[in-house]
Amino acid sequence: MKPALSVIFFTVFSGAGLGLLIWTLIASTMPQHIRMDAATFYKAIGIALVLTTAGLLSSTLHLANRKNAVYALTRWKTSWLSREGVFALLLYPLVAAHLFVIHSGYASLAPFTMLKVIACALAILFCTGMIYGCLPTVPRWNTWMTPAKYVVFGLMSGAVLFTSALSLRPVEVGPIRTPMMALVFLALGIVLYFAYLLRYPRAHTIESALGVKQGRVRMLDVGHSHGTFLTHEFGFQLARDKAHLLRWLSILWAFVIPFALLAWSQWYWVATVFCIAGLLVERWLFFAEAQHVVRLYHGQRVV
Amino acid sequence: MRLGLAIDLDTCVGCHACAVACKEWNGASLMGGAPDYDAHGKAPSGVWYNRIRHFEIEGDPAFSPHRCGSTEPHPHPNLPLEGEGTHVPLSKTVNVPMSCMHCEEAHCVTVCPTGASYKRAEDGIVLVDPNRCMGCNYCAWACPYGARELDENAGVMKKCTLCVDRIYDQQLPEEERQPACVLACPTHARHFGDYDDPQSKVSQLAAQRGRQSMLDELGYKPTNAYLSPRAPAQVMPSLPVRSGLSEKAKAFVNRLIQL
Ligand code: SF4
Ligand code: SF4
Repeated sequence: MKPALSVIFFTVFSGAGLGLLIWTLIASTMPQHIRMDAATFYKAIGIALVLTTAGLLSSTLHLANRKNAVYALTRWKTSWLSREGVFALLLYPLVAAHLFVIHSGYASLAPFTMLKVIACALAILFCTGMIYGCLPTVPRWNTWMTPAKYVVFGLMSGAVLFTSALSLRPVEVGPIRTPMMALVFLALGIVLYFAYLLRYPRAHTIESALGVKQGRVRMLDVGHSHGTFLTHEFGFQLARDKAHLLRWLSILWAFVIPFALLAWSQWYWVATVFCIAGLLVERWLFFAEAQHVVRLYHGQRVV
Repeated sequence: MRLGLAIDLDTCVGCHACAVACKEWNGASLMGGAPDYDAHGKAPSGVWYNRIRHFEIEGDPAFSPHRCGSTEPHPHPNLPLEGEGTHVPLSKTVNVPMSCMHCEEAHCVTVCPTGASYKRAEDGIVLVDPNRCMGCNYCAWACPYGARELDENAGVMKKCTLCVDRIYDQQLPEEERQPACVLACPTHARHFGDYDDPQSKVSQLAAQRGRQSMLDELGYKPTNAYLSPRAPAQVMPSLPVRSGLSEKAKAFVNRLIQL
């Protein structure tokens, strides 16, 4: 699949933003463990919303006909893309409601509104994953691990980012203790990533594309002389050595380096930058390595 | 009604006349429009609702019964025994014209967030409403058969309409109320009809000839049928044994010439 930069930025940045939102809200309920003053809380929420919004806006860049984008909210009963849009728009009033509640002293309502925001943020992450995971035409994606990856990577980058946001608090609040949540999710993230890489859901052959039961099929001619929409959208070919390099880069940057930095140093922002950069590479590979079955009708033997 | 095409893989000669007729009818139609980009330039491209792909099949008895089981490499001294270029002689060429199959489980419709893609209840035709489509390409991702192409000029998705603007047109003579591709095919490899009617030509053909499974394991249940090739007549080449005097004389002269 063609790796479209707008979609890569969207999924990584809004994932990190939503993760940060979730962790900030959870942290706000446990002041005895994580001390966070009001200013830091709002800064973290602010960063989360900016990242999420930037991501969502960039996702509209790849639309060829943006003026009809409003209709995208209408088919939430069947389409994961539509559901994602609905939850994304729902997030803002929910966050506003929660901030209003904690401000105006209806403290008893706060857990209720907070859970709503967290559920909505998780739902957005899950829907984004399902947009890809629900496609039988792209076997590489067609597994439960795709949505799981989107949720876990969102929470993971959010937790790393939250540690950085926490470092914005004034010195008198005291030093930051080892960020256990971030470490746990970094470990979970890498396990899930390896599981995803090792398990290819299923394969289709050029023979099954034409219903040939025995024997061999090969393409004689694809029928067009230059590129088409299909070759442009689905014909992306990644060189194997390049893929290897990028794979190790993404594993190092997204998981290993942030883990080491968070566990043994105070370089929280550096860890965050590495984590986000690594996830950008990972997301690029996610698209570049996925292959669509229509490639069988363009002469590829197995997808 | 469940309207669709039956495409004969046996008789199709791969001439692309159907695709050209489609382009001619739909190129500027109200229903769709299929633009060309850089048509006379260095890298011509454009939107086609129908594309013909050409394959070679060897070793499947359904396609080439004389050579059934001949998965052995061809022992010709000049051909490599393994890998690409290994030929079993007399394999079968099939030309596969591909357009929207108007699937029963049209996942392209389910995934569309705007409702621009829809499947008509009355005849099963899958269409795109250009006034709703936002050009997100998601439906094209969901289609296994490469039937959807984005119109970059209009920013909306385009696909085969089964000539919905021909088949119901009372102004046309009745025999012309068929998709343009069906009318154009010089070998009559394309047929149009209602698969819900067991008496229709397409139903009969699909029942008699059998249909190829085109990625049926994905569960889209395509309506269009690709009719399996028929078993070719067994031809046993044999030379008549003639041994009259004149034959012997001819053979003698032939041998002299070839000396
Ligand atoms: S062939 Fe493709 S576009 Fe046509 S109905 Fe099936 S899935 Fe949809
Ligand atoms: S490109 Fe248009 S028709 Fe296709 S899924 Fe997007 S909005 Fe629907």
